[in-house]
Amino acid sequence: MENKTYTILPFRFERFNEDEYLITNEVGEFLFVKTNEFNCFVNNELDTQSDVFLDLKSKQIVTDTEIEPVIKMLATKYRTKKSILRDFTSLHMIVPTLRCNSSCIYCQVSRKDLNDHQVDMNKKTARNTVKIIFQSPSPYIKIEFQGGDPSTFFEMVQYIIEEAEWKNLFEKKVLEFVICTNITLLTPTMVKYLKKHKCVISTSLDGPKDLHNKNRPLQNTEFTFDIFEENLEMIRGLMGKDSVSALMTTSVYSLGRFKEIIDEYVRLGFHDIFLRSLNPYGFAKRDENKIAYPLDDFLKNYKEGLDYIIEINRKGTYFVEGYAALLLKRILTPFATGFVDLQSPSGVGISCAMYDYNGNVYVSDEARMMARVNNHYFKMGNVNENSYQDMFNGELLHKVIESSCTECLPACAECVYQPFCGADPVRNYSEQGSIVGYRPTNETCRKNKFIMNYLLVLIKKNDPEINSIFWSWITKRTVIEN
Amino acid sequence: MKRLKGDNYNIHNEILGRITFRKHIVGKSKYIYACKGFPNITAGYLATITESSLAQISSPIVCNVEEFSYLNEGDVVTINSDNGISVLYEKKSNHNSIMLTELCNHRCIMCPQPPISKENERTEFNLKLISLFDKKTKSIAITGGEPTLIGDKLFTVIRHIKKELPNTSISILSNGVKFADRDYAKKLELCSHFDLQVDIPLFSDIDSEHNRIVGAKTFFKTIEGLYNLALFNQNIGIRIVIHKQTYKRLPQLAEFIYRNFPFVCHVAFMQMETTGLAAKNIEELWIDPYDYNSELKDAVFKLARYGMNVSIFNAQLCVLPVELRQYAKQSISDWKDIFLDECNDCSSKLVCAGFFSSSKEIHSNHIKKTT
Repeated sequence: MENKTYTILPFRFERFNEDEYLITNEVGEFLFVKTNEFNCFVNNELDTQSDVFLDLKSKQIVTDTEIEPVIKMLATKYRTKKSILRDFTSLHMIVPTLRCNSSCIYCQVSRKDLNDHQVDMNKKTARNTVKIIFQSPSPYIKIEFQGGDPSTFFEMVQYIIEEAEWKNLFEKKVLEFVICTNITLLTPTMVKYLKKHKCVISTSLDGPKDLHNKNRPLQNTEFTFDIFEENLEMIRGLMGKDSVSALMTTSVYSLGRFKEIIDEYVRLGFHDIFLRSLNPYGFAKRDENKIAYPLDDFLKNYKEGLDYIIEINRKGTYFVEGYAALLLKRILTPFATGFVDLQSPSGVGISCAMYDYNGNVYVSDEARMMARVNNHYFKMGNVNENSYQDMFNGELLHKVIESSCTECLPACAECVYQPFCGADPVRNYSEQGSIVGYRPTNETCRKNKFIMNYLLVLIKKNDPEINSIFWSWITKRTVIEN
Repeated sequence: MKRLKGDNYNIHNEILGRITFRKHIVGKSKYIYACKGFPNITAGYLATITESSLAQISSPIVCNVEEFSYLNEGDVVTINSDNGISVLYEKKSNHNSIMLTELCNHRCIMCPQPPISKENERTEFNLKLISLFDKKTKSIAITGGEPTLIGDKLFTVIRHIKKELPNTSISILSNGVKFADRDYAKKLELCSHFDLQVDIPLFSDIDSEHNRIVGAKTFFKTIEGLYNLALFNQNIGIRIVIHKQTYKRLPQLAEFIYRNFPFVCHVAFMQMETTGLAAKNIEELWIDPYDYNSELKDAVFKLARYGMNVSIFNAQLCVLPVELRQYAKQSISDWKDIFLDECNDCSSKLVCAGFFSSSKEIHSNHIKKTT
């Protein structure tokens, strides 16, 4: 019989570079080991006093003593990593109207013109929406206004805010509001109202003037960017310096210009950026041939952008790349992250839900984007027709969630990046025709793996400065010098 | 615990009392009268202590007390038939502690106060002692031995402190093993003290290493204890004594703590006190603290970056790299805190932890005054 000196616990692995393997386990512990050490490890030939053995043991990947208490520790860590599941749906997105005064070249929601009042939510739908939202068992409720541009129907935004606040007098949950708007239509009166009701503003900024105007022109004016900048200043004056956060979207015109885009964010006083690729929904899907680009082009730009942002931090300016920060939190900490797109099971429906102007409820924002082109696969129901139970404990959501655990999805189940990644059944369905998806040609998969791999390359460098910068992003604190 | 030398007379039973220098005070029967010169009045006090030599006095008295000026109004001392005075509580100190038991279920190789195997019950005495403490006492450390070995009486002590000293914070120094019993941990929560922390030593991220150092197979019990205390929302600190057998994996231990116990509110890395068993086992334990600076630095900065509250205890500032000094704390109890001759003109003396009195002979070779 073989002389077995230790027990190997579940792990995943992949060759990381010429002479090293990356090992991860279910709870996100990871370690790089040399090829020969890896071979010894799996063949039960590792010296149990060697550093590499002790490191593997410290991370609960192997044990040469007790097993049961080690499994208990893993279980505790697993619960922490999955703690997001405890609360159920907390992010509730509402579309008060589909009308918009922008005509972004990549509009993913297929917006409607300003005078098309058919796409406005009515009060009954709004009341029922709030009623459904408050049936979520989550102690945290975040209501996010999407559009169109919700500022074009501000009365409805106010109606919903007040309806929710009224309801919360009895429910006593932690209630937050976010409004996603191009800010160009916001007046000081509106801003004061948002401040009073503690509604934060999330806007879009695609880069320097010419690029922003090219990607996100307003209807009937060539001064989009100037209006944006003027209003940004007005809002900050009234609500405070950090009251507005911004998101960018990469169009084909943005490629090769990430440095300029980042500089523009810094110039305008933002502390973070989220370098986002185009989501293939709505007009972005319709006009794919004009504004889309190969994924590899984005990834090349992303990498350069991230490097540039790290340089900015090295020079002493605290500035975060949002997607990297999220992944780093998943890789380097024992905690869970709330980001819907990186969950297993997927966060659709169980972390977020989308309430359309007509009362339709979808499992996510992307799901309603799909609905705009007449694909209603991810519709859970309608607030005017269905009960909370029908929708949030319905067959559709059960099925989607069942098929979106990366722990058991084909290819994901064996992937070394599994503990850091998440499932996107909506994207799988829209791009590949099934909620399970097909990994070898899956672009989301390729994008996430590329970025995680690059982050791990940087982590592996063990450069004290980069470490400090990364941790300052995770902990949202200034850099700890060493 | 500070001992003052002296000659004891007329003392038949142990006397526990609060020091006063006042001739007239209400409730004399709780007080021990301290008088530098020859005491004229002794009546009504529990005992008298003096620097002068014996006169014809028939009440309990300690004469020829050395270091008389060490004592302050409000200190608490015991006197028994053995010569001398034990100072159990120093009003001016921030490091007062109560020893609940000298028994222990661990046999740590570097234990500065080796446990005994049999002892008389001390809880009644301790309750009386606590009642004599000044109401303004900021904090009390509950120590041992292993304080949980007195079982539920630990909670009696905590409740008594809560009642007598409602504004005093408590730090319990425990190996955590007993808290693996969930009901026991629950009982601590039920004390609902407003500011209580359990400080638990953890010497390695590897079970067998930790077990060898503590002389018992309790690593996973301690971990279970940490989890249970966290479950009941208790404040938890982790303490790591650094010596030859622990320094190498300090960075890995730091990561292990963050990954497994991110809920702890403090992590303290401690320079070893070279007394008790540490002195006996010095060959296997001693490493010049200067020589583990790189591991210590790595570990401290890891935890600091993680956003955890981290400190270095018992370390001399001159031995630490400049960037680590901000984490150093003055952690040595006043009665055994000393400085060397080299420290005389040091500009950092006032903010330095100094040395354990036992370090006079054994200390780092890198002590030099900082400018």
